[in-house]
Amino acid sequence: MIVRHLKSCVVQLAASLLALVVVPAAGESREEVRFAAPTPGGNVVLAIHAATDIDALEPLIRDFQAASAPDVTVTYTEYQTNDLFAVARDDCLHRSNTGRSSAQIDVIISSSVDQLVKLVNDGCATPHRSRETAAVPDWAKWRDEVFGFTFEPALIVYNRDLVPSHQVPRTRVELVELLRSRPELYAGKVVTYDVTQSGIGYLFAFYDAYSGATTYGRLIEALGRARAVVRPTSADMVADIAGGRLLIGYNVLGSYAYRALRDGAPIGIVVPREYALVLSRGVMIPVGAKQPELAGRLLDYLLSSRGQQKASAGAFPFGFDAPLPPDIDGPVMLARSSLFRPISISVELLAVQDRAKRERFLTEWGRSLAPVASALDLNTP
Amino acid sequence: MSVRLSGTDPAKRRSGRRQPSLFARLLVVIATVFGVGAGILGGAAWIYARVAADEAYDRLLVGAAFQIVDSISVPEGRRAAIDIPVAAFETLSLAPQDRVFYRVIGPSGATLTGDDDLRVPSKATPERLASGPLVLDDRYKQTPVRVVAVGRYLSDADVPGWAITLVAQSREARSALARDLTGKALILLLGMSALGILSVAVAIRLALAPLSRIEAALLKRDPHDLQALDVETPREVEALITSINGFMERLAGRIRVMHRFIADATHQIRTPLTALASQVDLLRDEPHEERRARQIERLQERTSELGRLTNQVLSHAMVIHRSEAVMFERVDLVAVARRALAEGVPLSLERSLHVDFNAPAEPVWILGDPVSLREAITNLVNNAVQHGAPTRLVVTVEGDETRRWVEVADDGPGIPPSDWLTVRKPFERLKQSSKTIGSGLGLAIVDDVAKAHDGAVSFRQGETDAAGSTGLFTVTLSFPASAQPTSVANAGVVTAMSSQP
Repeated sequence: MIVRHLKSCVVQLAASLLALVVVPAAGESREEVRFAAPTPGGNVVLAIHAATDIDALEPLIRDFQAASAPDVTVTYTEYQTNDLFAVARDDCLHRSNTGRSSAQIDVIISSSVDQLVKLVNDGCATPHRSRETAAVPDWAKWRDEVFGFTFEPALIVYNRDLVPSHQVPRTRVELVELLRSRPELYAGKVVTYDVTQSGIGYLFAFYDAYSGATTYGRLIEALGRARAVVRPTSADMVADIAGGRLLIGYNVLGSYAYRALRDGAPIGIVVPREYALVLSRGVMIPVGAKQPELAGRLLDYLLSSRGQQKASAGAFPFGFDAPLPPDIDGPVMLARSSLFRPISISVELLAVQDRAKRERFLTEWGRSLAPVASALDLNTP
Repeated sequence: MSVRLSGTDPAKRRSGRRQPSLFARLLVVIATVFGVGAGILGGAAWIYARVAADEAYDRLLVGAAFQIVDSISVPEGRRAAIDIPVAAFETLSLAPQDRVFYRVIGPSGATLTGDDDLRVPSKATPERLASGPLVLDDRYKQTPVRVVAVGRYLSDADVPGWAITLVAQSREARSALARDLTGKALILLLGMSALGILSVAVAIRLALAPLSRIEAALLKRDPHDLQALDVETPREVEALITSINGFMERLAGRIRVMHRFIADATHQIRTPLTALASQVDLLRDEPHEERRARQIERLQERTSELGRLTNQVLSHAMVIHRSEAVMFERVDLVAVARRALAEGVPLSLERSLHVDFNAPAEPVWILGDPVSLREAITNLVNNAVQHGAPTRLVVTVEGDETRRWVEVADDGPGIPPSDWLTVRKPFERLKQSSKTIGSGLGLAIVDDVAKAHDGAVSFRQGETDAAGSTGLFTVTLSFPASAQPTSVANAGVVTAMSSQP
């Protein structure tokens, strides 16, 4: 398993290097994966553009084809969140200027829901209403144009073999205390998101600052002092923790962590007890979609109980209404507990998107953690 | 009689020309009034709802704009910086479905953050913003939006001046609220209108119910039944009932008079006819020439009396008919009396009778029926000539401001005061004059004519004077003055006229 994660890590790195070197502009040469229609004959193509691992979505796409679109070929183009946002926004602008879309984009899936909210606010989305969308909790949808279809808490992950059980932090305050009292053990061994590179990391950090301002200040300071390591993805963090190179990860996406745990990685997962941020990966249909009806069908599938079950069996083990898996340290029904702090898909996310705010936030974050991040950059191969 | 009463068949009349129902017409009018009223009020409700929705959501918008403009800071004399507060967006998300656009412009004119192409309203001058937030309607990204502009003067910035914050919000929540308010107002309006129309319908039915009861009572009634209607009715319909009852009473009275008249007339005519028949029998069997001649003479007398009676019966019937059927006209009493006198005094009178006619030179006008009036005066003159007036007959026409009258006086025995009332009734024979077949109708006709003209008949017995000559018996027929009173100044001028045998 670790090997697989490492592999994907390397692939991603290579890909981003390639993107960096070959095409600095947002991505024309992006690779497109085709899922041919199970029933041959149809030439209808549904184009998904997503900032999510194709591994995570592949089972859902295949089940969607089997369940409600057997004659549809699905193409899948994977991006970094910022690239996807840029492509979608350019397409929307281009369309409002010329009346035509530049590329076929039928469905957009991204974990950076603030970017999706920005697209919706700018009038770049097509509304979709159905029985399935009506069942989505209010916090996970906006204007019937963007819907959250996953339930992904930000959790504390630790190496079960290397962190003694009495030291396992269950709250942020305990984490701060641990880093302060045991620098010899944990300095340089704690990891969190690189908010400059990861949209999810930025969202989590932003909401940490917003939900518990004092705790956040102490936490960021403690992380800085403990020379915390930053990584661009949860997969990277989980891989490092499982491999023993790092000990504790903060704000790790629960879905990646639990998949690793389920696959046998020696890690433990804790729901922080002050509050638990929950992100819902967003999906929307852009105004220029060539197959809006088919895109709506995909949305309905993702939100349906069949799609949700398929997702929880695969890459997204947490559900809106499902109990936490038993091997996670936390309340059984997170969504109904007092810890539950959803990152609400609403107009509030425009504040997250605000460029002045982002700049200011990143400056402050960088002041605490940047030296460590640059130090880490030297370590990466 | 009953044939006339029932008139034309009501069913036939109804089918002839379709009359719109009173109920339907009232209902249409009321429904129209309610409909137009509801339309106007609905329009007013829509305008009011839009204003109310704008007011409600403008507060959020202005509040959010102030939150944003307050978060502009000027760190140590450097350039103005902005830290957009999440709370501002939380405020705006009270309109959960609405899109939000914003732009923060620093004192130097540079956009600090937000949507660079959000237009600054031309009215948003520093002077205007100094007095408070500016809220107006605009369009942005092809969407109708509500825009608020607020300003804040930054005195400690590198370029001191006004920082402007624009916040725009799409109108979805406002429209939804306005629609909702209007919808509720319309439901209330329609409910009230329906209730109003319903109660009007019930009220009309209730109001018309007495008429239906009267109709039913009239339909149910026997055609000969002319008793007063006894239907319970509200005050408003009482006048109708009173008129119907009054009409029926008059009709019943008229029919009673007719019946009695016919019975009396039949009786009066049958008796002399029987007498005539027996006299004719006697005449046939009478061998004696002299007695036979006397009997023929008596037969002639009887026949002429019978003829006169028949004439009077007919003229009475005519007077009664004319009193109802003929329009009154201006009539000169003098002319009428003169003609009546000429007709009433036969030229071949056996005795010598001195006739005086006193009348003014000018006409004495009244409103009336000349034929009936002549008949009445003729009758008076006739009565005087036949039953009284041994030597003198005086006819006088006079008038004053309020009344006009004709007096017929004679020196005959007159009528005893005890009979003054009864002689006015048809067929009341004078006991004294029962030796002849008295007309019995003459004074009744006069009385009828007087009544038809709102006039009166009165009797006066003159005193016996010292010289022993009996006072004149006078019958006066008087009428109210007509609309155009005659000059009465010359009343009393006497023109004498003699009728010599």
